[in-house]
Amino acid sequence: MPIVFACAASHAPGMTAWTEAAPKEQADRFLQRYRKLGERLAASKPDALVAITVEHWANFFLNQMPAFCIGRTDHYEGPVEEWLRIPRSRVPGDPKLSPQLLDACFDNGFDPTFSDELVFDHATMLPLHFLNPNLAVPVVPVIINTLTPPMPTPKRCFEFGQFLGSELERSEKRVALVATGGLSHWPGEAKHGKINIPFDQKFLETLRSGDRTGLTKYSHQEIYDEAGSGGHEIRTWIALAGAVQSWPAELVAYEPVVPWATGCALVAFRS
Amino acid sequence: MSLYQLQKLLYHVNRDPSHRERYRQDPVGFVSSYELTPEEESAVVKVDVRKLYALGVHSLLLRPFTLLHQVSNEDYAKALAGLE
Repeated sequence: MPIVFACAASHAPGMTAWTEAAPKEQADRFLQRYRKLGERLAASKPDALVAITVEHWANFFLNQMPAFCIGRTDHYEGPVEEWLRIPRSRVPGDPKLSPQLLDACFDNGFDPTFSDELVFDHATMLPLHFLNPNLAVPVVPVIINTLTPPMPTPKRCFEFGQFLGSELERSEKRVALVATGGLSHWPGEAKHGKINIPFDQKFLETLRSGDRTGLTKYSHQEIYDEAGSGGHEIRTWIALAGAVQSWPAELVAYEPVVPWATGCALVAFRS
Repeated sequence: MSLYQLQKLLYHVNRDPSHRERYRQDPVGFVSSYELTPEEESAVVKVDVRKLYALGVHSLLLRPFTLLHQVSNEDYAKALAGLE
């Protein structure tokens, strides 16, 4: 069975940890659309959810930092952050799909790390909270290092996504594909709270128009200068765009939420 | 200067409930189990946001660590005011 659902979504921890710091109308509007997207995910009746995600020092440290890592166990724990206001839970994994995907990677020139023990931080738990609220759909995490350089180029992420997409289209399972990451943000830095709205809008337009050249030509330095250290997470969105290249994209929401310190967006792709 | 060890300490406290509990029971004893300079030890024990930032701690280790100590967004921003 093919990919039956695809979306990209922000995961700013403020969405749950300090929801009320944001203007109420803006927060309600965004989070309502996030939950609606979750209803669309459920309606697509997926057997598995492949999360193209990142992490923030939850599993990996400077002693070992994989460029790509695929979890292949039957459950994951998260969130690691006790302040996130999302209860710590056991998230079911898919120990059949994960090794299939890994084998296919190695057969096709991609060599990701694999892990039989991963914890999830807000990057994965927050989107699951809105999109898979009962944790009913088993998750396969595909983690991209967007935390500390050197990290995979946007071009490499697009190509990896393209491969994942073609492989999942051939899967016997119905797969929901979710990419998660921020747009412009400078988390925890002196510039924390800055949002580069023109960068965000241009990126979203490039994504929406399916402009492969535009998506793959972003350089590490350009992202860092324009969208901050947190902006590197757009690599997950670029990977998703590679996975569902021919699908039209719909901008479901864009809200530059200052107290959440990032441009928050939701993009749905339709087959 | 032992930034690697300093960041490793924060990584352990942030991600791992058992390390976190040991740190909370005895912060001074806990930090002494890492190879830190006296300046770094003191910055951790005092949760000196500005000092830890200036020492080069990654912002995504520092901010979660300060959230464990209930440092508000406003106080965090104040602590970093004027820095690059």
